Amino acid sequence: MKRRDFLRSTTALLSGSVLLGAGLAQPLQAQETPVSGGTLIWGHSETTQNLDMHQTGTASSGRVLQNIHASIVTVDDDLNVIPNLAESYEVAEDGLTYTFNLRPGVVFHNGDTMTSADVKYSFERCKDPATGAVNFEVFNNVASIETPDDLTVVIRMSAVNAPFLSRLAENGAGVVMPVDSGPTQGTNPTGAGPFRFVSYEVGTVVKMARHDAYWEGPSYLDAVEAREITEPTTRLTGLRTGELHMINDIPLDRVTELQDDPDLQVITWFPLNFDFVNMNHTFEPFKDKRVRMAFDMIIDKEALMQGALWGQGATSPSPSYPTSAAYNAGLSQRPQDIEGAKALLAEAGYPEGSLDIVFKATTNYPYHIETAQILVEWFRMAGVNLTIEQLTWADWLSQCWVDKDYQMTMMNFFTLWESDFLYYSVWNSQGGFNYRNISDPVIDELTEKARITVDDAERAEIYKSVQQQIWDESHDIVLWFRNGTIGAQPKVMGLDTVVHPNGSNLNFHKVWLSA
Amino acid sequence: MRRFLTFKGVVGLTLLTLIALVAIVGPLIVPPEAATAMDMTARRAPPSLRYWFGTDQLGRDLVARVILGARTSLEIAVAAVAMSIVLGLPLGMISGYFGGRTDNVLMRLVDTLLAFPALLLALTISAVLGPNVQNTIIAIGIAFTPFLARIIRGEALRVAQMPYVEAARASGTTDAMIMLRHVLPNIMPAVIVQATISLAFAILAEAGLSFLGLGTQPPAASWGLMIQASRDQLDIAPWTALVPGLAVALTVLALNMFGDVLRDVLDPRAK
Amino acid sequence: MTYILNRLLSVMLTLFLITLVTFGVTNILPGDVAMMIMGTQSNPEALAGLRESLGLNDPLAVQYGRWVGGMLTGDWGTSLIFKQPIAELLIQKAAASAVIVVMSMTIALTLAVPLGVWAAVHRDRWQDGVSSTAALMGVSLPDFFWGIVMILVFARGLGWFPSSGFVDPAEDLAGTLRHAFLPSLALGLGLMAHLTRMTRSTMTGILGQEFIRVARAKGLSERTVVWRYGLANAIGPVITIAGLQIGYLFGSIIVMEFLFSYTGMGWLTYQALLNRDLPLIQATVFVIAAVVMLTNLAVDLLYVLIDPRIRLG
Repeated sequence: MKRRDFLRSTTALLSGSVLLGAGLAQPLQAQETPVSGGTLIWGHSETTQNLDMHQTGTASSGRVLQNIHASIVTVDDDLNVIPNLAESYEVAEDGLTYTFNLRPGVVFHNGDTMTSADVKYSFERCKDPATGAVNFEVFNNVASIETPDDLTVVIRMSAVNAPFLSRLAENGAGVVMPVDSGPTQGTNPTGAGPFRFVSYEVGTVVKMARHDAYWEGPSYLDAVEAREITEPTTRLTGLRTGELHMINDIPLDRVTELQDDPDLQVITWFPLNFDFVNMNHTFEPFKDKRVRMAFDMIIDKEALMQGALWGQGATSPSPSYPTSAAYNAGLSQRPQDIEGAKALLAEAGYPEGSLDIVFKATTNYPYHIETAQILVEWFRMAGVNLTIEQLTWADWLSQCWVDKDYQMTMMNFFTLWESDFLYYSVWNSQGGFNYRNISDPVIDELTEKARITVDDAERAEIYKSVQQQIWDESHDIVLWFRNGTIGAQPKVMGLDTVVHPNGSNLNFHKVWLSA
Repeated sequence: MRRFLTFKGVVGLTLLTLIALVAIVGPLIVPPEAATAMDMTARRAPPSLRYWFGTDQLGRDLVARVILGARTSLEIAVAAVAMSIVLGLPLGMISGYFGGRTDNVLMRLVDTLLAFPALLLALTISAVLGPNVQNTIIAIGIAFTPFLARIIRGEALRVAQMPYVEAARASGTTDAMIMLRHVLPNIMPAVIVQATISLAFAILAEAGLSFLGLGTQPPAASWGLMIQASRDQLDIAPWTALVPGLAVALTVLALNMFGDVLRDVLDPRAK
Repeated sequence: MTYILNRLLSVMLTLFLITLVTFGVTNILPGDVAMMIMGTQSNPEALAGLRESLGLNDPLAVQYGRWVGGMLTGDWGTSLIFKQPIAELLIQKAAASAVIVVMSMTIALTLAVPLGVWAAVHRDRWQDGVSSTAALMGVSLPDFFWGIVMILVFARGLGWFPSSGFVDPAEDLAGTLRHAFLPSLALGLGLMAHLTRMTRSTMTGILGQEFIRVARAKGLSERTVVWRYGLANAIGPVITIAGLQIGYLFGSIIVMEFLFSYTGMGWLTYQALLNRDLPLIQATVFVIAAVVMLTNLAVDLLYVLIDPRIRLG
């Protein structure tokens, strides 16, 4: 196809597309009074692995365990930190002391009542490197955890750690487990969440039952069965035949088709995660800012989103959670300009046909493969020869993430709504997630400064500057936010409450089945 | 020659000639970009006058993809089988000809390899070397080697006991010479038959590897890759599966038919 | 007797080679389970902590010794991703796969034997062509393709069988069989081609032999001649070939179990490989390789029993 044809077709697509707004799309459900009872059969898209909440980094296990555990604090729909197992909390002026007043009468699944000792045990377990906790660094600056009485926990920091509370609101670090339950958490997870763990058959099903003493009141459902069906077509068939009440992660290309099906309900929410195209900054051509910028200009983000996500998302120049205070609304994505990109590449010493780039994409995310295939076409028009290498998740992690052995790739992150976690880890030269070898003194300075800035508004401004710098330098090419999806039988009610504000976890506390 | 003129022989040979013609002449007529050009206004378009075989999920013309895919798929299959012959022939011949301890050791090795799922091998090769066409060939080639070695060994064992081999041995001809002059030509028919049938398996193996993201890398076209991509859309766009599926099925069928006839002609024992 | 002893000795040798290859190959695989558990949350310190707690830092020779020693004493270790004893997992999942292996083999033989006999009886006529074409249908497309067709036709279209999952036979045997049927059918189609061809060629050979001619001359009905005399003699080699197909079958169940979320050995192996769960990869691969090898041995021994001419192997 000639270039003009391609452009015409993508433009035609654009005019017909409607973008989803932020927030949950409300399902069309009649307002009925919830009834108790029934077992929800959920077709889960991924395999649950280690059941120990501290040791689990995968979204798949978290999605299930979120129902078993409760955190000391959590977030509201606008991602403000709010009390949860702690009734209230105070942060000292100097930001070095946190006092949590625990909610009385919170009962664990084992029948014990939660006390400050459980909190101290849980946090110390998470902090201990021997536990192998994924989020252990949240407690890095914690000097001591004191328990003056049964319902009070005082945490003293050795240095200011501004994002501490927000990080506790994430499910892994802030959960409270009964004292000494650590050794059995991997086989029999016990917490204070709305459902208690019943059984787990590897790769087949996780069964959970109502926790009657849950502090927010018992759930409507008697039980939840999370059946693990990883193959999308098979999962979809299970929903269609009625074997499953609901499934998460509808294949993107099938969402519209399901939405048109009067016998099923579809929930989509925004955003589930963001995606960005990565360039390895130690690869010679990408050391030149002009090359990175030219690559940015080759990509028509909107057409790419329509092509790879089938419209299930919204483009964004910034990875900040769209409704968060830190989102820099002043940025906009570079429009596609292939001639301009060619000129810029020539100026940088790479005339047409002189660049051969390998793009590593993981089969773990099928839409990454589609994205890469569309990119190949555009890059060819700009005189750049792009070759795709498909990698399994294990190979991608080891080659791109750990060994940083790649030229170009792309990745997604669940909307890491906590700005420090996001910008420091991903863009600071010392960040744990800086797998692109980015080293930008401006970003380093800004992200360090934000860490010790206690004023929220001031911190938000700093992060806006970070976004500006990432965009100015074309360190990465931020593409879009992707929608999350759930498909369900009409009898499944209360689905508007199922998605945790972080966009990743599912909580079945207020879900119910109509007769 | 008359034995070729059975129903199977004629159909098999005609089909194979046609397929080979497509694989060789196709790329001269269809430019490579035709297989990757996308029409976003016609994604999963059913067969029509504009797109005879319809389009896939990215609006790519399946006519161009199936023609250009023929080349890739057959190239991989032929190269992989050739590799397994190059590796398996000496292994099987030495083992079968010498027998005894040599045979025992070599066959233990072959047995060991035979016991492993080919998938593990393929995953390891691609994880260590990277996924691309060459490594797909290596993976399939290595996976097929023990099978071929076993069959060749059996043949060599048989030939080694023939009177003319005994005679050559008695007249002081070296083992290497005997293997080259007498054993090799006499086991060739069986090897050719097995190679034909292995080709069919290699084409399927390429599709199987694509299931795991190995094999040919997108957006290039290969039949295996096309079948793999169609698995999520079989119910709403069956043509995306039928087109490459039919291509593979016809080729496999033709190879098997041809292989059967070859066996009848070349291998006097299997009547 | 010496033959059998020799065979057993070489089995021990092969088993030893299998442990070496398994251990070697799994250790070439890049990446480890700590990285897979942490995913994109991994950073060097956290990885180091997790690795330490998982015991991944010992030298290779020590790990190999511990592995083989553990297997000999019945301690197969713990899966790093699933946090369950590997021996328990293996027993549970092997039972699930056994159902599929037996069922698919039964389906394949039920289809292949009559088809092959029919082709042999009508050799070189149209029936022969129809038979071999039908048999080849199964093997003309990759088996995952047939798996999807089965799901769409029998689960979604007709609703006769569940589309996915596995049910514990201890709880509901009928449920287990229903869940196993579609993957077994898809696998059976793949096995069928070779078995039909073998039945045909064996039957062809037997039907040309003296005792068949004698039987015919005695005026026995054609049906009796073919089925009673012919097939009775052909079934041995056919079963042998079926046994040799076990290796191929274990390759195929990996993809098929994955597709149907049927959690057997194939599924477990694939999960272990994808997640770089080294102890689990080693255990599953070793067990599969050993089972394949032992089946081949059993087939060989069976052959010796059936056909006294083969003594030398």
